[in-house]
Parts: sequence; structure tokens; C-alpha cells
Amino acid sequence: MTQRVSSQLEIFQQDAAAPDPWAAFRQVERITVELTQRYKYSLGKVSRFFLELERGRFFATTCGGCGKTFAPPRPLCPRCLQPTKWRQLPGTGMVETWSTLHFSPGSNADVRALTPPYVFAYVLLDGADTLFPHLLKAPPAQARRGLPVQVAYSEGAVSHPIHLMYFLPRDPKEEP
Amino acid sequence: MRAAPVIAAVGATPVKAEHAASSSRDLMAEAVLACLADAGLADLSAVEQGITSYESDHFNLQMTLGAVLHDTIGMIPKPNMRIEGGGATGALALRAAWAQIQSGLCASALVYGVEKNGRGLSSRSANQLFALSADAEWEMMIGGTYTGFYAAMMRAHMAAYGTRETDFAHVAVRNRHNASYNPLAQKPMQITIDDVLGSMPIAEPYKLLDCSLLSDGAACILLATEDWARAHCPRFRQRPPVYFAATGCGSDTMRLGDRYPHISNFRAKREAARQAYAMAGIREPRREIDVAELYDSYSGVEIQAVEDLGFVAEGQGGAAVSAGAFDLSGDLPVNTSGGLMGRGAPVGATGILQAIEIAQQLWGEADPRRQVAGARRGLTDTHAGIASISVVNIFERGD
Repeated sequence: MTQRVSSQLEIFQQDAAAPDPWAAFRQVERITVELTQRYKYSLGKVSRFFLELERGRFFATTCGGCGKTFAPPRPLCPRCLQPTKWRQLPGTGMVETWSTLHFSPGSNADVRALTPPYVFAYVLLDGADTLFPHLLKAPPAQARRGLPVQVAYSEGAVSHPIHLMYFLPRDPKEEP
Repeated sequence: MRAAPVIAAVGATPVKAEHAASSSRDLMAEAVLACLADAGLADLSAVEQGITSYESDHFNLQMTLGAVLHDTIGMIPKPNMRIEGGGATGALALRAAWAQIQSGLCASALVYGVEKNGRGLSSRSANQLFALSADAEWEMMIGGTYTGFYAAMMRAHMAAYGTRETDFAHVAVRNRHNASYNPLAQKPMQITIDDVLGSMPIAEPYKLLDCSLLSDGAACILLATEDWARAHCPRFRQRPPVYFAATGCGSDTMRLGDRYPHISNFRAKREAARQAYAMAGIREPRREIDVAELYDSYSGVEIQAVEDLGFVAEGQGGAAVSAGAFDLSGDLPVNTSGGLMGRGAPVGATGILQAIEIAQQLWGEADPRRQVAGARRGLTDTHAGIASISVVNIFERGD
């Protein structure tokens, strides 16, 4: 943890005409504190999803009870409360809804490397029953509901394994 | 069931982009003192329980702030608990106090909420921290933002029902206008639909003026049995009693994508409303509710809310909003306070501020320019995240 402190002194005026009960407390010091933390944590039972991305494969989970396929994967079916099974999907699908973001939250190095505007899309993957959110690396004008897309896999190091993948537009006539 | 608790007294600080001269505990103490003055109580000796309402340890740079604030106002050694439920925090805290009083655990509870979300952090840091209240691994790390999640949801609403950008711009214009009649409000503005449409894009289809505010502020409500309030609060006896008549709470998946195929609206909100209406005996909410404070975190969210609360059928919110149904001159005025867009949204205080607005409306004490004539029943609507938790509270004038 690193910490730096700087401060400045300011006097704040009360704007109301009434007598200020806090008049003796209006001299205020403002400080800046910086805290930086490094977190080490386990991805737990969804780890295989990220490990498969390293091999260029997209995995979801399917519930043996109700048959629902979850992408992102859920190790526990919330309806049947039983363990799901891993299942590879082809990684093709269609945009269901999206937003063009004009500001990056800078959540990690991969996000900071994005140049806004960029497209954040919810994709219905073939074989899945839920929408998978990720970046669609395409000009914002190209984004539309029903746009065929496919999972693409990143080269090189990433700041979080979710960035081992992203979506690209797909020519529906081509085999994935 | 026992008779519903009453709102014995209320207090709040002004809502500002920054209360630069005040820490969170300073702000909260000012709201509590205002509430005591409103109650006509000299001190807190008769009040049995304290419930602390704040959302974020990160923004306030203090964990267990409940204990800190309880100590600050001299409530020790009485019971305290801290309630957190994202944007629904304040409404959940009131619901918790409702349950404690209904159960007989106590006859009086002070619910106090505070947040310093305004200028303490850069908007990029604020966005990152708020995004942590999404599913961190699957939504936040990708580079998603709350504005983006809500925007994608609104885009689905537009695709399903033909809702137009001008419809949600109407909300942005009206709520900021309403704020000009609220002396507590952070950012009253007189703007036009074109101003909203022409403002800077943030996450399409949402523009800057479709977004609500980051705020500093505190609010406090003293909730009690009617007998307790009559015995202890001189001011209560001079007002028509306002009962906290009903409360509902619903939930939904964390991730929007897991709600497929129904991603245009808030299931949790429908469930919360269903429970609250059943408890209050409401069958036709549009006709039986006189005034409502809705969770307008983004302009389009209010359109989704009027549908999910049953004021109009799903898909008809945009047209009804644009027709002025929910304006001060409409048949069911909403966000008379200015809402999150005009009054502001200090998260832990937001749900409490909404209930204060409804209390003032039912007492007939709102500024005449925003007072809903003859209002007898009001509703507050808040949610966490993109409505992973939703709370609907209903208040009624009893005389």
C-alpha cells in the first residue's frame, strides 16, 4: 500500500443569511490520500472457462436437470441447484443489444488501451440461453441488433483473462 | 398485523455536488439535528434504535461507518445496524426499520443515511468503483460501465417498443425543471429536449443530460409507532399522520445477459410492486397513487419504471411520458423533488430523500409550485445495480 498526503486550507462561507451555528468550525483542511492495493484471488469453479480461452476454445456450462446453457458459465444451476457440465460452443452468435461507450472506465490496462468510442455488446451465442457481454471490435456504425459475430482470441499478455477474447463481426456465409 | 409505523419527523442537508466543508459524519449529524428539530425532540434519549444507511466503503474511505455515525450522534449503547443494498440502500434501511417496529422489537427507529459521492474521486475512479457493483469478473473487467449496461437495456426497450430518444429526453427536462421548486436540490435546470439530444454522448443512446448526478448529502427519518410519535413528538401531533403503509422487495440476476430474453424491463421492480400493492390493497396503481418518486438513475429508467410499477402497460411508458402524464400537471406526478437527475443522488441518503419528499407531499408542506393538490398516497421506487434488488415503499395519509 502506498500513501501520499497533501493538504490545503480553505475557508468555506455559509450562504444563508441566518446565524451559522457552526461558525467556529468553518475553517476546513482538505487533504488528498492515495491508496493502491494489489489483489490476489482465485477464479474458482469458473477457472476452466479462462484456461480454455488460452487454447482458443470457448466453453459454457449446461445444466443436466433443466438443460439450460450458461454463457458466462455457472458452476451451479440456480434453478436446479445441481452442478452443471462443461460444454464447448462454436463461438458464433448474434448481437442482441449494445452500447457505444464514449468514455473508458480504465478498469485495467486492456481497457485503458481502448480508444473510445468502442462497442460493448451483449451476444446470444449459438447453443447458449443467456447473453454474453464483451467488446465488439468493429466501427460503432456497424453495430446493430442481429449482427453476426464470432469469438476472436487475443495474442500476448493480458491484464485480466477475460481479455483473452473479444467479438468480431462475422460473414455468415463463412464457416467458423 | 400491527398498525403501520408513522413518519414521526424528517431532516436532510441540501444535496450538492460537493459539501467541501463537511465530512460524511458532519453531514449526517446535520441531517439528524434537522430531524430532531422537526420532531420537536430535545435529544435522542427516547429513540430506541439506529439504522445506518450508506452504500460504499470505498467512497467514504471508512468501513463500519454505521458504528462511527451511531457514536457521532450519541446513540450508544443502543442497537445499531448498517444496511446496504446498492442504490436501494435508503429504501431498504426504511424497510428494515418498518420490520423492526412491526415485529415489536422497538417502537421507534432513527434511519439516517449519508454518502459523499460528489467530487471526492475523479469521475473515472467513481465509474470504476460503481462498476464493481456490477458482476466484477464478467462485466466490469471487460470495460463495461453502468451507463453502458443501462444504455444496452434501453436500446432493447427501443427495439421492442419503439421508444424514442425524445421520450426519455422528456424525463431529463421535466425532472431538472421540478428541481427548481425544491430548495434542497443540487442541480435545477431549465433545458429543452434539444439540449438533451445535443448533449455529449456518454454511452449511446444515453447522453450527458440523460444521466443522474453524483452527490454529497445526508437525510434522516424518525420512524415510530403512532402511539410513540404522539407521546414524544409535539410536531407530529400538529400534522396529519403519514403511515409507512406497505413495502415490497424483489430481486433479479446480477447480469443483464442472464435475463435473456426479457431484457427491456425490470422484473425485480414488478415483483416489489406486486408485494407492496398487495399489502396496501392497491389494484389500480395509476389511479390509486397520487405522487411517486422514481429511480431515474438514467432518463430511460423512469420510462421502464412506470411500466414495471403498473402505471402503464409494458411498452407504453415512452408515449405516456411524452404526453405529460407524469409531469406536475399530469394525472400522476413523479419525481416532484427533481429526482436523481435534479435533486441529486447521495446513494445512502437517496431512498430516504425520496420518502421525505413523499412525506412532505402528503403533509401538504411541499413548495406550492411542486405540491400535488390533495395527495393522500405516495410511492417510492429504488433499485440496486440494474435492479438486481428493487424496493417499493408506500406511504399514506391517515386522517
